[in-house]
Amino acid sequence: MSQTGRAGSPGQAASPAALSRRRVLQLGAAALPALCGARLLADALTGSGVETARAADTTAPADAYDPSAHSWAFAIDTTTCIGCGRCVEACKLENHVPEEPEMNRTWVELHVIDQDGTVRVSSPDGGIHGFPTEETMPADDAANVRDAYFVPRTCMQCENPPCTWVCPVSATFRTEDGIVFVDEGRCIGCGYCIVACPYGARYIVPAGETTPKGVAGVVDKCTFCYHRITRGQLPACAEVCPANARIFGDLRDAASPVSVALNENRVRVMKPALGTRPQVWYIGLEEEVI
Amino acid sequence: MTAQVADRRLTLDPRAAVRAVARDVATMSRALKAWLVFLLVLCATGAVGAVLALPAGWEVLGTSPSFEWGILITAYVFFAITTSGLCLASSLGTVFGIEMFLPLEKRHAVLALLSLITAFGIIALDLHYPISMVFGAVFSPSPLSPMWWMGVFYGIYLVFLGIEVWSIFSNHWGIHRYACMLSSITAILAPTTLGAVFAVLGARPYWHGAFTPPAMMTMAFLSGTALLGIVFCLVHRYRLAGYERALTLAIPAIRLLMTITLVVAGLVVAWQILWGMYGVIPGLADANRAIFAGPLALWFWVVRVGAGLVIPLLLLLIPRTRTPEGLFATCCLVFLGIFADRAIFVSAGQIVPGTAVGGVVSDPFAEYVPTLVEAAVVLGAFGFFGLAYTLVERYAPMGEHTGHLAGAFLGSTEQPGGTREALSNLVPAPEPVGPPETVLAPETVLAPETVLAPEPVLAPEPVLAPEPVPPATPSLDPVEDAP
Repeated sequence: MSQTGRAGSPGQAASPAALSRRRVLQLGAAALPALCGARLLADALTGSGVETARAADTTAPADAYDPSAHSWAFAIDTTTCIGCGRCVEACKLENHVPEEPEMNRTWVELHVIDQDGTVRVSSPDGGIHGFPTEETMPADDAANVRDAYFVPRTCMQCENPPCTWVCPVSATFRTEDGIVFVDEGRCIGCGYCIVACPYGARYIVPAGETTPKGVAGVVDKCTFCYHRITRGQLPACAEVCPANARIFGDLRDAASPVSVALNENRVRVMKPALGTRPQVWYIGLEEEVI
Repeated sequence: MTAQVADRRLTLDPRAAVRAVARDVATMSRALKAWLVFLLVLCATGAVGAVLALPAGWEVLGTSPSFEWGILITAYVFFAITTSGLCLASSLGTVFGIEMFLPLEKRHAVLALLSLITAFGIIALDLHYPISMVFGAVFSPSPLSPMWWMGVFYGIYLVFLGIEVWSIFSNHWGIHRYACMLSSITAILAPTTLGAVFAVLGARPYWHGAFTPPAMMTMAFLSGTALLGIVFCLVHRYRLAGYERALTLAIPAIRLLMTITLVVAGLVVAWQILWGMYGVIPGLADANRAIFAGPLALWFWVVRVGAGLVIPLLLLLIPRTRTPEGLFATCCLVFLGIFADRAIFVSAGQIVPGTAVGGVVSDPFAEYVPTLVEAAVVLGAFGFFGLAYTLVERYAPMGEHTGHLAGAFLGSTEQPGGTREALSNLVPAPEPVGPPETVLAPETVLAPETVLAPEPVLAPEPVLAPEPVPPATPSLDPVEDAP
């Protein structure tokens, strides 16, 4: 009557290789610590553990630095940017960013607004070599142009960054002083944060000689040159800008250049409707391009 | 050394196994050999692609920062929704006990498990650090991330499916009915969460919104039903185990499901597009323009709408094509259409650039062309899936579960007492038939002449035939039917 087919199969009971429930549970119980041990061993061997990664991180702040006392921000003046591309070049050199034109921590765009309000955006090689006039704005096109200006771009270090909460392994996070980081020891290279970023500020590091943190296949992004700003220096892009278009500073300091610039100018942020609350403000940006 | 698998004792001796395989290959028909060789070639192609795709950071994919998710994500989504759809479609039998859907049970479970494994394989190749993903999801979880929840649900689904397959082949019916129910519930949670992975992204207007998860589940249902239709038409065509009930029950059931789901999917596609056309949301209208008259138009109009929706509906509605062959063609077209649909979906979300990003001019659309490595991985995935299922179909006892023939399923109206009562009416299981030690001998599973023996003429099948259900088909099941 109790032929349930579960324990009633004589072949199963007699088989030496048949797995009992107890045996399965025993194997499971043994596997869990083994997996944990394997993880620790792998971290120790590869140096990919979080602490190991942070210890080796070149962006680690200076010892006396207090993150809670700062709030870093950029004010970018599009009325003074000349599109020379030195900021892009400096960033690549400073942070070992790959040479590929589509992989940048910062880049410069040329926004051309036609008489009918159409916006054309171009960024040849990320603007690293400047913007040759004949390619980016032909002479016969000039009559049709209502306005044109350069827009330096970078990670907006959003106060409400969509890239952080979508990460399935908590590899990207925002610090107390407002910088969004990627922990290369945790990043799995899924690209979810890249598609979640409204500003196109992230890329996956390719294998090669030039990798920002010596790790390929993980996501990289601008950190406002954290290793510099925590030591009292400017980010590399702001340091080399000949037109003072990249104004950097601490919002907690009312006398800092960025605080002054934000007070004295009418500023906009990119894509305000998304509610990301960027910490990069633009001076002179027209409505059509945000 | 021997192992007991589904009431068969197999010798785990490599030499004996090789001899048995050689013997089996000799008995195969040419068509089957050709099919297996084709699948093996696809697998080999995929293996080459996998080797090239595995090292972290190798630029072998056609993706870029402005188009980060390519055809591998498409293939992952396709297999991930197919596995859910298989479970959802057959849950009408496995969970709700509707008789006409019962023949789907065993094959759906195997197909769903293989489809999920294939999906996991693809995503592992797309990730740069797949092992870290497993550890990271456990040791540094991110409950705010839909992708994390998707991993959790599909992980749980894998466990439930594994239990479902194990219990059905080992006659653990008590466990099986709960595994069916739990896997069906997870099959709803998983694809909707997969939809949420896209839906929460405010930066991607085409994906963003509450409409995406239910649309994903609709496509899952359609995809799973289409795959079941392909398999059961082949079961009928080649007289595989349980082909009688495939004709009288499974095929009409699939036709019914396919008709309903196609209409629903057609409405989903239509409203998705119409809604986008009326909207003035930046990016959404541009994405729809790309679908209507841009770089995605050919895929949309020809493959998605024409081959994937309109022609299948016509084949289902025209009386002359309401045959197993017609259903087979319908399901193949729908299956192709769903792949195109997911490719369009993944592409349309990224085709409107949010920013110029270095070197890319934002007008008009972002570009992505799959590389040979990506194509090889996708072909390999289909090859693996086809090969694994072909082997299961050939060597595993795929006849219908005898418990179902006696009405022993959850929610059965024929046996109010449920499983225990129904099972008590069954005669005790006989000793396993066949020699005491069978070394992967396929002839004990399926007689060679019954495998791949095409029937020349196929009579038009009755739709929802009310005639009595024939008795148990497979003579391989350990338990005979109740008198």
